[in-house]
Amino acid sequence: MFERRLYFHIDWLLIAAVFALCAIGLAMIYSATGGPTSIYWTQIYAIGLGTIAMLACVAVDYRSLGDKSHLLFLAMVLTLAGVLFIGEVRGGSRRWIDLGPFNLQPSEFAKATVALMLAKMLGDTRRRALTNNDLIFAGVLTAVPLLLIARQPDLGTAVTLLPILLTITFVAGMPVKYLGAMALVAIIAAPVAYQFGLQDYQRERISTFLDPEQDARGAGYQQIQARITVGSGGVWGKGFTQGTQGQLRFLPVAHNDFIFSVLAEEQGFVGVIVALGLYLFVIMRSIEAARLAKDRLGAYLVLGVLASFTFQVVYNITMSAGLVPVKGLTLPLMSYGGSSMIATLASFGLILNVRMRRFTN
Amino acid sequence: MAIAEDRRRLAVRLRWLRAAVFVVFGVLSGVFWFLQVVQHARFQEMAANNHQRTLALRAPRGVIYDRTGQVLVENRSSFNISIVREHTKDLDRTIRLLAQVAGIEEPKVREVVERHRREPAYRPIVVVQDATLAQVAAVTARRLDFELPDIVVQEVPTREYPSQALAAHLIGYVGEASDQQMADEGLASGAVVGQSGVERVYNKMLMGADGARRVVVNSVGREIRTLDEMPPSEGQRVRLSINYEMQRAAEDAFRAYGYWGSAVILDPRNGDVLTLTSLPAYDPNDFSTGIDRATWAALNTDKLRPLQNRAIQGRYSPGSTFKVLVATAALEEGVITPERQIFCAGGGTFYGRFFQCLGRHGHMDLRHALEKSCNTYFYTVGDMLGVDRMHQWAVKLGLAGKSGIDLPNEIESIVPSTEWKRQRTGEKWYAGETISVAIGQGQLSVTPMSMAIMMATVANGGTRVVPRIVTGVDDGLGEGWRDVPPPASPYKPFLMKPATVAAVRDGLWMAVNGSGTATRARIAGRDVSGKTGTAQVISLKGRARATGSERDLRDHGWFVFFAPRDNPEVAGVVFAEHSEHGYLAAPIAKHVMETYFAQKDGVPLPQLKVPAPPAPAPAPVPTAPLRTGPNTAGPER
Repeated sequence: MFERRLYFHIDWLLIAAVFALCAIGLAMIYSATGGPTSIYWTQIYAIGLGTIAMLACVAVDYRSLGDKSHLLFLAMVLTLAGVLFIGEVRGGSRRWIDLGPFNLQPSEFAKATVALMLAKMLGDTRRRALTNNDLIFAGVLTAVPLLLIARQPDLGTAVTLLPILLTITFVAGMPVKYLGAMALVAIIAAPVAYQFGLQDYQRERISTFLDPEQDARGAGYQQIQARITVGSGGVWGKGFTQGTQGQLRFLPVAHNDFIFSVLAEEQGFVGVIVALGLYLFVIMRSIEAARLAKDRLGAYLVLGVLASFTFQVVYNITMSAGLVPVKGLTLPLMSYGGSSMIATLASFGLILNVRMRRFTN
Repeated sequence: MAIAEDRRRLAVRLRWLRAAVFVVFGVLSGVFWFLQVVQHARFQEMAANNHQRTLALRAPRGVIYDRTGQVLVENRSSFNISIVREHTKDLDRTIRLLAQVAGIEEPKVREVVERHRREPAYRPIVVVQDATLAQVAAVTARRLDFELPDIVVQEVPTREYPSQALAAHLIGYVGEASDQQMADEGLASGAVVGQSGVERVYNKMLMGADGARRVVVNSVGREIRTLDEMPPSEGQRVRLSINYEMQRAAEDAFRAYGYWGSAVILDPRNGDVLTLTSLPAYDPNDFSTGIDRATWAALNTDKLRPLQNRAIQGRYSPGSTFKVLVATAALEEGVITPERQIFCAGGGTFYGRFFQCLGRHGHMDLRHALEKSCNTYFYTVGDMLGVDRMHQWAVKLGLAGKSGIDLPNEIESIVPSTEWKRQRTGEKWYAGETISVAIGQGQLSVTPMSMAIMMATVANGGTRVVPRIVTGVDDGLGEGWRDVPPPASPYKPFLMKPATVAAVRDGLWMAVNGSGTATRARIAGRDVSGKTGTAQVISLKGRARATGSERDLRDHGWFVFFAPRDNPEVAGVVFAEHSEHGYLAAPIAKHVMETYFAQKDGVPLPQLKVPAPPAPAPAPVPTAPLRTGPNTAGPER
């Protein structure tokens, strides 16, 4: 299965960039939690497990994965449904399955599965143009896991499935006017959704985002503190473990959702540019992998996986600067979180897989 | 073909995606550039405000010494418990818990917090001043448990008056600066400033400069470490002219003989105030940690007026002590010679009215008239002198007007003149009024301080001194004590005729050492010279009317003195409220003078011997001393 010559087509630069980001994240976790705590060690184990998952995803030909995509998808939907019944309740939501030594968050793995499913479905189509039926079917396929995750409730992760659908249908040839129409509907529907579709705490988050000072001690607090954290970093930063905002806990969950704020505080604008550069490189390199892909399945798979990754990166970094409402979305590769780390590294395994096999039959 | 077409479309759409990603990342770096570079200063300050707290370190006020080096006022450490609202999540809960832990009343805490509500949240609100060790321990334990992280316990220097009420009116007390004081003197909220006496007048010297400590706190307000510390600098040390032992002797004697009142004793050579007392007094320690409402109300409503500094704020009729002034003025003006004899037949008739003397003295010269306090003699001399010349000489000797002492709120002493009466009442002066003024009755109203000045001027032969309290300052810069020069006297010195000085001194000496009225002040070998006086509290008519009222109507007793007769070193006055007779004030002065001479000679200080069992403080009839205004003292006597 793993032919020797494939080895020469592995994208070592992409791997290097991905692990560089992991290392930066690890250092920031070390700093934010005040030394080699259990959180720090858990992250190291997660990177190790993620590397194994990555290897596994590289080893199996993505086309055989594509052939089994409907089975994988079914398994994923069943797991997500199961989580709603047997999941661990934490912080008011059921997201985790207790696996003894650690907890698994299945929704993290839903992204890659949805990407694979959509890539297989739209990449296999022999018709020249994408039909509306294809689009509807793709939409339904995405909606099922999305709703299941939203029921946990975990709106943040659920929403990351949408970029997958949008990106894959976009490159598969969805007419541009559809995009325009969707944007129009979103603009009109937003106030309605705000009024009727959201829970109170969600509405509160949005309104405090628009004016954080109105609740500087409560919901707006994190946003204000995030901005102070980033802004006080300056050009060169306060130095490793020298940040005051993260170290003295003015910024909550600094090792998790706000890891990028910690980086901005301690390493300054310079550190931010380095990290942004690495992420940009990873994304561009992955788009290149999609371009080089041997078939549409490969290209769509890469782009689908990459879409949720990019969306999450952009959203989290914007949130770190206090510019969007605080949402429980982690920063892939850097934030603390076992399931997220393993799933992200596995999905990069898929991207490497596609690029590596661009010449095989 | 279809595949190629497909590839082309994919490539185009990938280019779009790339462009979109580039734009998004470009915007993101722009955002971070704006936050981290353009607005850096602002956010850095906000971050510093977040985690840095500046704690004021209160400077100890300067220590106050007496002229012999005895400590009169010092500082002790006390603990303040404060709330810092900056990191308070639930102020209500904090207040409730703190009140419960420290065992104080919750409404009181609420009231204090409410009063300071508008101040910045990082500034501590002092809730408990001078906390007990038990309170400190209880609060500190809770604080470490994170139950009360927003409570701060601070050690602060607090004013301590080891001799309690001794010289309280002179030294004064401290208190939190009022809004007015904060605005006028640019003080921080909660600053402790002198509110009375020397503490107030020399506040700038005594205050020192507060220091500051910058600490790092975490998000729940717990101190992590100290960044830097600027130690406070202590206020300047001040040396007073007061003689501790004499001051003590005066107050002991007042209590032993059972009188309230006032004593002022000066060094006639330079105006140093050796003793200044006003009784009853208050304990300035009560004010040091914020006086409680009940104590303050009690002090203010007490009919004995413990807050009044009788030495400079109490005005009384001088009685026979005024004869010292009449004698001096008449001799200096050449109206009489010391040898001029006047016949006393138990009184005399002036302007159609009979004015009584307390005895039938026969032929009197000035010396004997002073010794026996003969009214007839002074009626006659006063009539020859006229009220305006008496007034002029009162101004010259320092009996009228203000002494100019560096204490706040001194009131003027009044010795009338024709001009004064016209301005005040629009009426002309009647010659008959002069007669009663000549023996210290009528519209005369003087403070003990002005009486002391007059005696000092007579004692030194014509130099009106300005009393001074502060004689030395040590700014703590290592140069030691720096003498404060006596204030330049704004009054022109005049030399009294040697004959005048000799005659008045003799007369006063005889009053004490001869067969006069003040023999109770006699000290063997010290040539004490003095004069007693009785100040009417109410006229005989008024007395009849006021019978049965609560007021204490007994007369006040005066004793003015200097010693020794030649080259006097001390001069002053003892004013004993409601002692009825001037000679009852004399033993108090005697005890103080004995203390002075014993200290000077380096022998053991005298023990106070009270011959008669002392009446306890005149508590049975607690009344305010009545100010003898122009209307209370009638001419009859």
